[in-house]
Amino acid sequence: MEPPNRAVRTSKIVGDGVTEAKPFGELTPKRIRAAFLDLLGRPPLRAERDKWAGKGLVALLDDLLGGEAFWTKWLEKQLYYFLLIDNFRPRAERVESIPADLTEGRLHVRDAIHRVVLSSSFNQRNPGADTFVTVVMEQLLGIVVQKQTRELEIGKAAYDGGSGLFLGEVVNSQSDVVGVAMGDKRFGQGLIDREYQRLIRAEQNKGERRDAIRAFEKDEFTFIDHYRKWFLSPEWEARLGRPRRTTNRDWVSSLLVDVYDRLPTPSESRRMRDALDGLSDPTPLKGLLARLVLDSQEAKLPAKEDIENVSKWIDQKFLDLLGRSSTDEEAAVFTGAFREPDCRPATILLAIVTGGEYQSQ
Amino acid sequence: MSESKSKRSGQVTRREVLGAGLAAASCLQLGGLGHAASAAGRTVGPSKEFKTKHLVLVAFAGGVRSRETFGMPTNIPYMRAMADEGVLFNRTRTSNLGHFGAALSVFTGISEARGIRENARGPDPTLFEYLRKDGGLSQNDVWISTSGGAQQTNYSASSHRDYGQKYGANVLDGDGIFNAEFKDLLANFGKMREVPGGETDALRKMRKVLDRGKSGADPDASARVEKYILEELTRGTANINGPAAGDRKAIRVARNLIAIFKPKVTGIVLQNADTAHGDFNGYVEVIRQNDAALGELWESVKADPDLRDTTSFVILPEFGRDRDLNTRRGLDHGDGSDDLRYVTTTCWGPDFKSGVEYDTEIDTIDVAPTVTSMFGTKAAFSKGKRISKMFA
Repeated sequence: MEPPNRAVRTSKIVGDGVTEAKPFGELTPKRIRAAFLDLLGRPPLRAERDKWAGKGLVALLDDLLGGEAFWTKWLEKQLYYFLLIDNFRPRAERVESIPADLTEGRLHVRDAIHRVVLSSSFNQRNPGADTFVTVVMEQLLGIVVQKQTRELEIGKAAYDGGSGLFLGEVVNSQSDVVGVAMGDKRFGQGLIDREYQRLIRAEQNKGERRDAIRAFEKDEFTFIDHYRKWFLSPEWEARLGRPRRTTNRDWVSSLLVDVYDRLPTPSESRRMRDALDGLSDPTPLKGLLARLVLDSQEAKLPAKEDIENVSKWIDQKFLDLLGRSSTDEEAAVFTGAFREPDCRPATILLAIVTGGEYQSQ
Repeated sequence: MSESKSKRSGQVTRREVLGAGLAAASCLQLGGLGHAASAAGRTVGPSKEFKTKHLVLVAFAGGVRSRETFGMPTNIPYMRAMADEGVLFNRTRTSNLGHFGAALSVFTGISEARGIRENARGPDPTLFEYLRKDGGLSQNDVWISTSGGAQQTNYSASSHRDYGQKYGANVLDGDGIFNAEFKDLLANFGKMREVPGGETDALRKMRKVLDRGKSGADPDASARVEKYILEELTRGTANINGPAAGDRKAIRVARNLIAIFKPKVTGIVLQNADTAHGDFNGYVEVIRQNDAALGELWESVKADPDLRDTTSFVILPEFGRDRDLNTRRGLDHGDGSDDLRYVTTTCWGPDFKSGVEYDTEIDTIDVAPTVTSMFGTKAAFSKGKRISKMFA
């Protein structure tokens, strides 16, 4: 994909000498699907798919990036990073309001994570001086505590009300330890690295990384600008060719959006994700869940006899669920399978949503 | 016997079997292993033909001190009985690497720092990978039942280039799957329909062309696991609650997995004892509950004619806890004391000595090479040593 300032060169003659410029990053089914998954952790609803088809990535980013749905997903990713899930998920208003505050520009990401780490849930998840200070050092700063035992001991002492010089700053309390860690340069480095790798699925170019960290240290509110830059880079386009296993949460969202054309409720999302997270290989449970969802009344799939053009219907399902057309071989096998008496429309969808490609987008 | 003396002399302590009932059980289960004392210190080479065909390795984890276990045997009557019929190592050295890293060390045989909340596979192969790749075991031969949620699925396999997920164990977290909320959710979707054979065939063809042979997954093995999950949801595991519910589910799941799949090696990773940070009494209750649940598992193995003469148990915490109570009258883990650094290892099974206690030091990382040796393989990257003296 070309950078935005050269996008207008991609054009076609539509008649009578009129040239219609293709938008930069024209949203093909694959790009729409990937962009929604990366931005919101789910594929597009049918109406969204129709709305964005053929439009440009820039317009999509203008609409979704930095919106409340985006920040809600971002917060969930951060909570998962700290394993603040299930009973340990923070319920405090100060944490629940983070997506809205980020959207309105009342908060930047450093302070958002600071709120999370100061929550009682973080404290309960990481009880005791040793665990708490270790997790602060490891998860916020990427420090291997076994190599910095002195800092750990000072942090532990401060946790219990003592004083000391922790990472070069005087600390007297548990919140001082958190505050010093949050202000450390390694926090910004770790956050930039984590988010870049999550989005692009590769290491960042050293120079760009340095610039991004510098910009973040100067002004945390610029964080969202990095996302935009990353989305519009050739690296994001390359990411489309680097499938990686979708998280269980995103798989659950994808399944319900694709089959029910609605978002999962928080309860559905949490219960299904927790169950899938409980398996090193969730394939069997995914198969079970997909069958239940596809066979449920809410699925509203067409009756087999109502599908007149089978190959067209199957190809549309490939486009909707995988963002691509079926190959000739796939079309032949799927069409042949569909003609078998026991095969139903739900069986076609089941094969796709439990396949490796659907689970790695 | 003092530690220094036992280290120098290699002497062992024989414990009297507790009571007549246990003595009878011991004779029944261990048969010809009554010669254990005379075999003290004998080295058993990897070429020995072991009677053990199934092994249950329990990470009695969450941080458990010996003071509340073998120092207070009324808390753990079953583990005490197992030790009386088997081997007890009183001085098992641990590393305080956080629960995740320390338990992982038991499986890899390497003490390596891992982040407490790190949610990624470790770099070193686990004993499960050695057993699968080098020992030729299938995926359903090696299971791990856990109670610690998503993070513990990383025990399945390492990121090692020569091993990895392809040779991983099946990990199943009982609390994540078998709970009332998830059961209700499934019920809301509707009743599971019987799938006719023709539909299964069609599905298989479509999956094959989509997969293009990439995954190498065994659809039959997957179907068996799916069936097991459905059945387990109806067995009542989802209704277990109260103290140590997560751990008790993990043990119960293991019990059912062992009965159904008859795995060669079953790992169990417990976690609920970590409530000790703020609740000492709750922690002791977890120990009691977990001992009772392990007792049920032990009894079920002894009642199964296919398992009773061929199953071994190895049970050890990943590390202990601090010597003194914290300000919340709980127990943390970070003071570097012997209470934290040393735990006990209990071994019971047809190849182990009977009624023997050692005060000599072993290390938690010695378990992995010992287990792999019992199945004829080596834990090639392990830094631990095979514990020869446990064998009869």
